[in-house]
Amino acid sequence: MAPWSGHRVVDLTGLAGAYGTRLLAALGAEVIKVEPPEGDPIRTYAPHAPGVEGPESGLWWAFLSAGKKSVVIDRSTADGEARLAALLATADVVLDDSPAALQDRPVSGHSAVRAANPATSWVAITPFGLTGPRRDWTTSDLVAWASCGLASTIGFPDSPPLAPAAPVQLAMHFTAVNAAIASMLALRGRRRTGRGQLVEVAIQEAMVSMAPETGVPLFLDDQVPRPRAGNRRPVTSPFGLFPCQDGYVAILALQPNHWQAMARWICDETGNEGVLDEVFNDIAVRNEASEAVDAWTEELTLAATKHELFVEGQRRGIPITPVNTVSDLRADPHLAQAGWWRDEDHPSLGQVQVPGAPFLVSHQWWNWSVAPTLGQHSAEILGAL
Amino acid sequence: MMDDDHRVLAGLKVFELSVAVAAPCAGRYLAYHGADVVKVESRVNPDVARLFGSAWARTEEYAPLFMDTSPYLPEMTAGKRSIGLELKDADALAAAHKLIEGCDVFLSNFTPDALERMGMSYAQLHPVNPRLIHVVMPGFGADPDLPYYPFRAFGPNQAPLVGLDALTGHPNEDPAGIASVAPPDYVAGMHAVVSILSALEHRDQTGDGSSVVISQLETTVSLLGPFLVDHALTGRSPEPSGNRVPWAAPTGVYPSLGHDRWVALSVADDAQWQALAALVGGDALTEPAWATLDGRLAAHDAIDEAVGAWTAAISPAEAAARLQGAGIAAYEVLDHRGVLTDPQLRDRKVYDVAPSVRFGRDLFTGHPIRMTDTPASVPWAGPNMGQHTREILADRVGLSEAEIDALVERGAAFGERVPEMIVRRPFDQWYEIVGLVGDDAPAGGEES
Repeated sequence: MAPWSGHRVVDLTGLAGAYGTRLLAALGAEVIKVEPPEGDPIRTYAPHAPGVEGPESGLWWAFLSAGKKSVVIDRSTADGEARLAALLATADVVLDDSPAALQDRPVSGHSAVRAANPATSWVAITPFGLTGPRRDWTTSDLVAWASCGLASTIGFPDSPPLAPAAPVQLAMHFTAVNAAIASMLALRGRRRTGRGQLVEVAIQEAMVSMAPETGVPLFLDDQVPRPRAGNRRPVTSPFGLFPCQDGYVAILALQPNHWQAMARWICDETGNEGVLDEVFNDIAVRNEASEAVDAWTEELTLAATKHELFVEGQRRGIPITPVNTVSDLRADPHLAQAGWWRDEDHPSLGQVQVPGAPFLVSHQWWNWSVAPTLGQHSAEILGAL
Repeated sequence: MMDDDHRVLAGLKVFELSVAVAAPCAGRYLAYHGADVVKVESRVNPDVARLFGSAWARTEEYAPLFMDTSPYLPEMTAGKRSIGLELKDADALAAAHKLIEGCDVFLSNFTPDALERMGMSYAQLHPVNPRLIHVVMPGFGADPDLPYYPFRAFGPNQAPLVGLDALTGHPNEDPAGIASVAPPDYVAGMHAVVSILSALEHRDQTGDGSSVVISQLETTVSLLGPFLVDHALTGRSPEPSGNRVPWAAPTGVYPSLGHDRWVALSVADDAQWQALAALVGGDALTEPAWATLDGRLAAHDAIDEAVGAWTAAISPAEAAARLQGAGIAAYEVLDHRGVLTDPQLRDRKVYDVAPSVRFGRDLFTGHPIRMTDTPASVPWAGPNMGQHTREILADRVGLSEAEIDALVERGAAFGERVPEMIVRRPFDQWYEIVGLVGDDAPAGGEES
């Protein structure tokens, strides 16, 4: 049995919540996505399925809304707001990513809904929080990476800072998983208190919680700036991305045994015996000579493909990975043999292979069904109010 | 635990056998919400978070406490208890097993092989504690028949593997890499928390424990969902786009007044575009074709140049304030100092301070889930290595004083070193800068 079955979640979120409500739906909750008459904005995000027109063509929608129900409510009318308020009062959890000023609307905001049903919890996902001098500022995935200090550490020194994997919208998904955790905590808390509660997740703060690794704590200690350094880092050598025949590999010679295996490999493949000199066992020496170490490493990597280097390097005990593209991942032998992909029969997309579960569990928890069509469940859900 | 502890997970007992980031960051969520998280530590093979230490502590005087000084420690272990056990010793391992018998959650990112050797696989622990929620986080899953099973995963190598680095950078340039942070560690950690809270629900309903395997590969690849589906349908594979996205243009990072200062902005719709054009003024952005998203996407380079000419003349903070005043998402690209002095983060008290045996008090990044009725908190910062060994062995394992002494004498268990030495971090002045002043900041320790 799915762990959250029997719980109703009403989803008023966009990208900052959608991956989290996808998880809640997949783990058994009844997730009701409220859409305006023209459809949720996520439906319009590219890429779109070829040959499909209208609101069911968006692949962000297809992925993020799997397992959810769709009801259409026009919030621009008083009647719509009243219907929404009635729906929200039936929820165990409401997730909303409206701007801070709109989270507490008169009829359908958190105070009104929690007054109508004190058992309802409300997860307020906002760009910068419900309080503070910038509570009314808006955000985006890129702005979130900028506001948490992470973007400043990514990119080459002579070009602008970067969001990691901008197309993926990782900051939004990371926030959304936090919002799913917030929902589950609120539900567990209700077991003790009998009451729901207001829970805040600010996008900036969710991202700040990932930022320490970039060196914030070290900066507190030594006040030495650590600006972006491109795709190689002076922490050890070799460390970073190296070109190969069909792209790049990532190498990290962290421990002494990693370097010794790396040096042996370079020597075996390129005949370079100087690399075996014991002096290079010292990280400080390698960092000092990093141009040479990088050049020797490249001589090795340029002679093979990323998959060949991955398998052979790992066999030798070196932490090396391919810089995979989406195309590579779709052909990856491990994911295929793990049976990770799921075959879905989608009413508008047809037969399509989709990502499997994000983790494995020893019970039948995962509850997958295709994303709803616009307003597919309006009659069922609103009729029962 | 106090009887009046209101936190949601108060009473939950967690055994954490972990290294670095993925498992510790999951355990930290649990600790913030009240769980008693016991982190098992080894002097023979310490967590790398301890090995980092601090540069200022590399002196003979501080050698005994060096492994308590890493600024990453409070980040990863605030609110947890530390028990020093060398699990290669049979009696220490027996004590660990006894501890696990009384736990609700077993959380580890050790390899499946290592856990098996210690008798800590799910199959080995389930018979002694059928209600146990057993969560492991291997890089490449726990199935020895799969091709990458024996491979090594470190945070910075995982992001390239799962497709993130290939999408980071400008088109037709080398991939920029995201080695400064390892998102897969955190993504896996968050999913571990999701799995634990779900497994608690499952156990409440059925009485049964759970076995959970968080393979970092699958967990993070999941986030590429729309692109994986697109590839399945069309064979298309996305290219890096710099900072651009197809539904909001312009989106980018623009130079500002000063050296290496930048402002990020995203124009979400046509109305915001008109607001930006008015803000920039003149005829810089009045080209009629740019009034629509398609027109702006087609002319993104020219628009970037015009917007960049405007931002270059003002400070990033002022540019962001003016853009936000016009309803456009924008922020200064904050560096480390910028984050620590950010007015919003300061006002929200995002950085946390708590008592520390080693430092009197210590500073670390706070928790992002703010529950109004049952607020998260941690009673202390990073524990000293082995700080809680004796109390845990006595209260939770049931060992006598003499039995504990025997373990310690043999080196099978260890307590904290030089607990009487209290030192100051060199950054003490930062408490004030991050907004923790007056009653918020507990008194600092005495100079040693």
